[in-house]
Amino acid sequence: MFVLASTTSGIFIQTMVNGITLGAVYALVALGYTIVYGIVELINFAHGDVFMWSTAITLVVLNSMHVSTAVYGFALIGLLLLMIVIGAVVSGTLNVAIERLAYRPLRKAPRLAPLIAAIGVSFILENIAELWLGASGISYPDFFPNGGIVLGDVTIQYIDLVVVVLTVVLMYGLNVLVKSTKMGKAMRATAQDPEAAALMGVDINQTISFAFLVGGVLAGVAGVFYSLVIPVYAYNVGFELGLIAFTAAVLGGIGNITGAMAGGFLIGIIKALATNYLPNGSDLSDAVVFAILVLVLALRPSGLLGQQVPDKV
Amino acid sequence: MSASPSHFQQKMQNPLKSLGIRKKIGDFLNNTKFLNRSLSWYVTGWRVGVFWGLIALFLPQLLNFSTNFLDQTYFAPNILLLDAILCGIYVMLALGLNIVVGYAGLLDLGYVAFFVIGSYTVAFATSGIIRNIHSQVVNIPALTFWEAIPLAALIAGFMGVLLGAPTLRLRGDYLAIVTLGFGEIVPIVIKDVPFFYGALGFQVPPAPVVNTPFGQVDFGNPLDFSAFYYLTLAVIILIVMFNILLRNSSIGRAWIAIREDELAASASGVNLVRIKLMAFGLGAAIGGIGGVFNGVMTSSISYDQFSFQVSISVLIMIVLGGIGSIPGVIVGAILLRFIDVYVISTISNMLQTNTALANPSNPFHFLVSFNLNTTKFLIFGLVLLLMIILRPQGIIPNKRRQLELKGVGLAPEELSVIGEIEREEEGSSAPPESVEGLGDI
Amino acid sequence: MAGTSKGEVLLQLKNVTKSFGGLTAVDSINLEIRKGEIFSIIGPNGAGKTTVFNLITGIYQPTSGEIIFNGSSIKNLSPDRVLRRGIARTFQNIRLFNNMTIMENAMVGQHPFIPSDLFSVTFRLPNYRAAEKKAHNRALELLAFFGSELVMRKEEYAVNLAYAVRRRLEIVRALGSRPKLLLLDEPTAGMNDAETADAIKYIQRLRQEFDLTILLIEHKLQVTMGISDRIAVLDYGKKIAEGIPADIQHNDLVIEAYLGRKVEGA
Repeated sequence: MFVLASTTSGIFIQTMVNGITLGAVYALVALGYTIVYGIVELINFAHGDVFMWSTAITLVVLNSMHVSTAVYGFALIGLLLLMIVIGAVVSGTLNVAIERLAYRPLRKAPRLAPLIAAIGVSFILENIAELWLGASGISYPDFFPNGGIVLGDVTIQYIDLVVVVLTVVLMYGLNVLVKSTKMGKAMRATAQDPEAAALMGVDINQTISFAFLVGGVLAGVAGVFYSLVIPVYAYNVGFELGLIAFTAAVLGGIGNITGAMAGGFLIGIIKALATNYLPNGSDLSDAVVFAILVLVLALRPSGLLGQQVPDKV
Repeated sequence: MSASPSHFQQKMQNPLKSLGIRKKIGDFLNNTKFLNRSLSWYVTGWRVGVFWGLIALFLPQLLNFSTNFLDQTYFAPNILLLDAILCGIYVMLALGLNIVVGYAGLLDLGYVAFFVIGSYTVAFATSGIIRNIHSQVVNIPALTFWEAIPLAALIAGFMGVLLGAPTLRLRGDYLAIVTLGFGEIVPIVIKDVPFFYGALGFQVPPAPVVNTPFGQVDFGNPLDFSAFYYLTLAVIILIVMFNILLRNSSIGRAWIAIREDELAASASGVNLVRIKLMAFGLGAAIGGIGGVFNGVMTSSISYDQFSFQVSISVLIMIVLGGIGSIPGVIVGAILLRFIDVYVISTISNMLQTNTALANPSNPFHFLVSFNLNTTKFLIFGLVLLLMIILRPQGIIPNKRRQLELKGVGLAPEELSVIGEIEREEEGSSAPPESVEGLGDI
Repeated sequence: MAGTSKGEVLLQLKNVTKSFGGLTAVDSINLEIRKGEIFSIIGPNGAGKTTVFNLITGIYQPTSGEIIFNGSSIKNLSPDRVLRRGIARTFQNIRLFNNMTIMENAMVGQHPFIPSDLFSVTFRLPNYRAAEKKAHNRALELLAFFGSELVMRKEEYAVNLAYAVRRRLEIVRALGSRPKLLLLDEPTAGMNDAETADAIKYIQRLRQEFDLTILLIEHKLQVTMGISDRIAVLDYGKKIAEGIPADIQHNDLVIEAYLGRKVEGA
């Protein structure tokens, strides 16, 4: 990972900064897991690949626009917004389509079936991407200018600021959406008891689709952010990132939106520290994240912020 | 025999002109029980099992015999036998995973981890070499191949229990993601922790020569794999017997009970964690045994052979063949390996060497550069998805599973309708024996 | 009425409370069930009756309070442990193993008595074989308790059974563990008058033939009033009355809470 500072304390703080930036990306992806799990109780294994498709499509669009160097001013804002919109539309649509085609037919099947379908979808999405853009990594046109705020030994890149600020804004918007809008209430009602919600006039199919849409849109935005922070596209990036983001969702308490955000940032920081301070850190940091997943599940399965809910007996 | 003397005389007088002799033969055949049975009677139940069992039993001889009339450059018996052994290893894996997924209804997405553990166990144990923390070679007392098999099963089973213990208390989908992670982490650990020879790979000593009353048997002879083939076959048969014994026991009943309704099973006295751990550990142990055979057979192992794709391939095998059905998962494993090794590469070759396609003006010219091998996993993924949506019970369904996968979520009334329809179908397509033949294994 | 006032206490709930988040489903309930009696819990929907069952059988852990069975605490035990102590149950929305045969359902009920360690099972050791055989015979006996239908159809899948028969099979499964206390969660729900009358009869026979204590949740007043030795009434998670049927029938609080609300809601 990218560490710029040189003194010991500087390296530590710089690692934290980098961790928070990636943590924002994890948090956005984790939200998709949490929202979908909260409503249909399905781990959407394809979610990481939905994220990856945002990186793939925006990469191709940028290349076709012949963007290869940094742009400035209004062009930068316009391009950034355009990419965010494209990423959101691609991933949002994809996620909704997956639910419609693969999960909905299995809604009444035993739990195993939709899980297997999800892993199948993940496999398909990944392999189509490999077939289309190849198996080797492609450098992503890094149109965001370098540079940032220098605080002594530590540099906070402008992109870091943009990613973290926009992520926080998105999360605030999501909270408003879930707490205050009609659709949000329908989502919460469906999450608690789909049958009762249906009896009260909630359109279950529409609500579930909406949940997948929201999850997909957040993953799409995350895809753009991720590519600007780590400007390499790889067809299998979603697999690992999905696992990390899922850990973040579990850490925060699955089904809990605030928890997913907190979990995302926390995992980002932990992973950055592990990458930097462990031997062979870039590989072993994944093992650390996995160990966290198992530990959380073993010791506090409801997560840090989750609360116990009654099983329906 | 229904041919009467008069028929016979008629035939002798004018055999060629005898009117309707075809019809007569037809009548004769129709009158026997032999053809009266529908075709499905011959391709279901134990008969087909016996047929394929005999083929499996005499495969080395059949392959050798085939050299009399087949071109050996395309049809080398020993290479085909090697393919069969590798296929057999996948059959073992599918049988092992079937305990976890098919019987207990737990989703294990990192099954490859136990395969790795088995492979490395046989590597360390039979070579007698490990590395210490400073990457220095340390000699340990070497075990024989025969001792390595139970050792690998024990270690893999133990790792399964270790992984399962914290997660099996939770809902099934958490297990899925934890195993997914575990399958990824084990190869990384092997790569980065010096002890395992990491990125270097590891040479596995060949299977041993054994002196028997009938002479020397060389299980590791690379020029003739038939001894090792029979060993693989024997182990598969043992695993199948083990599965059947478990399936028809208090343990098997408890597995199905937890798969059907965990809460009711628990309220009936089934200790959920224990019974799930048992399924998970046994599945892992069989995966470990598969790993031993893989290690010896491929002779050189390294971390990158053990990808997520292996886990998913095994899962596809059992979904394709029929979740919970022993004949199903065996057929699924063989079928998928066959498609993988023969069909896909053959079609690729045909496309690439076709002279008509080579002409750039041919509208299908683009197919020349179409390498099916890179799309293989896309196809497999599609197979998995389509099977689980369209035919979740697989090619050879387990009767019980068939009911369940089609029916759960329906009201009891609707379910009973399905049950009745299915019994009718079974009744009409084949006499009762064929159903018994498959049993509920 | 046998054992209405005397008899040793088999099950005791002391100040048991269960809350989910902010909602208190069961609010410091005290109950004493005596050996040999048929005890009913009644109350309007959402009064916390099934939650009490789930607390007794270990599906939920109480937030506070103590549950004592046969002299020792069963609080915080898992459902299978509770069963092994001698408490079996049925469920309101029948939870049979639909894709297992009737015989297998009856056998699963006897799981605690059949060895399920790998060694005994794989090698079919004598103790395993004997236990299997015994369980099989016992299953036949239990099925025969309900007449010949279940015995004759023992190899059929449970999913094919009619509703009232499914309830019976669930009781067979529960009896397999040789319980001392049987919890029946609305055993006559969804049944017509004839089936209900039949159920009343077999519940009384169950007590006699298997020497059981029975704890019942029931909506139909003619059932509870007819067969219960004592009745407790729950409302909003609290016990508002307890006594013999005749007293309960004339208790003003009960009439107001139970019947009064019903009229309002209708």
